Amino acid sequence: MSAVAAKPQAGGAINPGAMAVGIVLLIILLGIAYVVSPGIGLMALIGVIIGGVLIGFGVHFVPVGGAPAAMGQAPGIATGVAMLAAGAGLAGLFGGAWAAEQGLEMAVVTGAIGGGMMMAITCMMVNFVYVFGMGIPAASGKVAKDPITGDTQAEYKSQGTEGHGLPFVSFVGGVIGGILGGAGGTLIYIELLELYKTTLPGVMKVTSAQAEPIAVSVAGIFAIALFLVNAVLTAYNITGTIEGPHDPKFKRWPRAIVASAVASALCGLVAILIVVM
Amino acid sequence: MVDIVFGIGITALTGALATIAGAAEDTESNIGSQGDPNSQVQLAPQMGFMHRIFNKAVAGEPPAYGLWCALGAGLAWAFMAMYPNPVLAIVLGSVLAVIVQGVYATTAYLGRTASLAKFGQPVYVDILKSMTTVTMAHAFIAIFGTVALCQLINGALEHPFPLPLLGLIWGVTLGAAGSATGNPYYGKERQYQNQKFGAGVPISASGNIVRYAEAGERNSLDNGWFTAKIGGAASGLCFGLIVFLELWRTILFEKSFDGWGAVIVGILVILIFTIIDRYIEVWARKNYGPYSEIKEASS
Repeated sequence: MSAVAAKPQAGGAINPGAMAVGIVLLIILLGIAYVVSPGIGLMALIGVIIGGVLIGFGVHFVPVGGAPAAMGQAPGIATGVAMLAAGAGLAGLFGGAWAAEQGLEMAVVTGAIGGGMMMAITCMMVNFVYVFGMGIPAASGKVAKDPITGDTQAEYKSQGTEGHGLPFVSFVGGVIGGILGGAGGTLIYIELLELYKTTLPGVMKVTSAQAEPIAVSVAGIFAIALFLVNAVLTAYNITGTIEGPHDPKFKRWPRAIVASAVASALCGLVAILIVVM
Repeated sequence: MVDIVFGIGITALTGALATIAGAAEDTESNIGSQGDPNSQVQLAPQMGFMHRIFNKAVAGEPPAYGLWCALGAGLAWAFMAMYPNPVLAIVLGSVLAVIVQGVYATTAYLGRTASLAKFGQPVYVDILKSMTTVTMAHAFIAIFGTVALCQLINGALEHPFPLPLLGLIWGVTLGAAGSATGNPYYGKERQYQNQKFGAGVPISASGNIVRYAEAGERNSLDNGWFTAKIGGAASGLCFGLIVFLELWRTILFEKSFDGWGAVIVGILVILIFTIIDRYIEVWARKNYGPYSEIKEASS
């Protein structure tokens, strides 16, 4: 079947063979980490993979309408999937990094709330502009009723469009996406920070105090990089736009989880090898 | 930990800087026509509608501002290492970052518009001369505001991240907030002013953007003037609220409830914005009513 003849599949389209290859790759990468650094390196890699998976899963919740949303032709936020998720996740990472001294749990939760706050404010302002700036109510194009509020959607769609604005379920999805992204980004940062704090003084032959600013910077750069890798990877899985957890495209998340885990493992391994080899 | 009153003052200042930066970012992206609505500027000549709108989708706004703010912050950081004058360093860093933005804007306009030559769209040199400097001026305000707030966060509030990294983080967030909030207002309300108010643009109308002003042909300065009134202000408010509330909850409540105070306040803030959002949604449904009522009555 040619690419033109193939019908787009909104939901499933899970390829078990590719998933199996991905899981094998993941096990190989974990094995390499176990060989080169069985203790702290392996633990850091597991943390990075969990963080990457959280980001990849979280991006599916973020309601992104892209260019059609900018003309009120489709629901969602009028920007790119990866970039909006990155904005929320990095805002969370900022808060999480600040709370790093207070322990892993505190930092991850603080990062999660930071990402959720960014998305809550942004989603509210999107509806503010649609309603008070453009006189357009929110309407979903994918479901007849909002799964949370039960509000009917079809009659609030203006003629010739697929909907517009952010129905309540999309708002909630955005906040959940921000929470997961902020938590994932912060988890990656904390795991790499601990690794670098422990290993850098020996590698660079400096004191712990001298190594700390370098550890913070390198862990921060890798956390941002891993965030972008996972966000962009998931954007390919979503293919353009998604309304949130009620969108049929949301069902594609399993393959993004495997892809995010493999990509995070590969990138995380590089981040580990620079200090343990 | 810094003194709490000092922290609140810095938080207020960063919130104000973020508000100005957000408003300038959205106005810059609308004058330069960057972001998702630019798809229509690119599409219009292909549908037979020639125009004098600037066309510089260098990248999505978040990565573009991530680059420019990281560049400004990195250069400011380097200047501060040489000369102990943060204000001058931030200004110089922002100026150099804006020069890069200007180069990108120029090449983007020339490249993107030249690619439309087969559809008859001319490259207007006067547009290039008059618009580029205006986008650069707005970009300077946005970058300076963001780099300055990053310096306050790093220097005064003692955030562990170095200045260039903070520039990247808040630059990406600035672009995300500005494009999310400001794009619909430019894309629907200004580009499609010829369509009905209070409804989305029908997909069949894509590309038929408004090309004429009160006198003569519309250009991007007209678009910046229009969108600054609501889209720009809303973008500024959005980014200002994000920065202010993130810092405010940390500075004031970090020590409360055995360290969980900032988290609890964050959850409360999310709940408050959820309630406000729901109120706005219900208000719109009640006051604007369904579109298909008339159709149902006639059928």
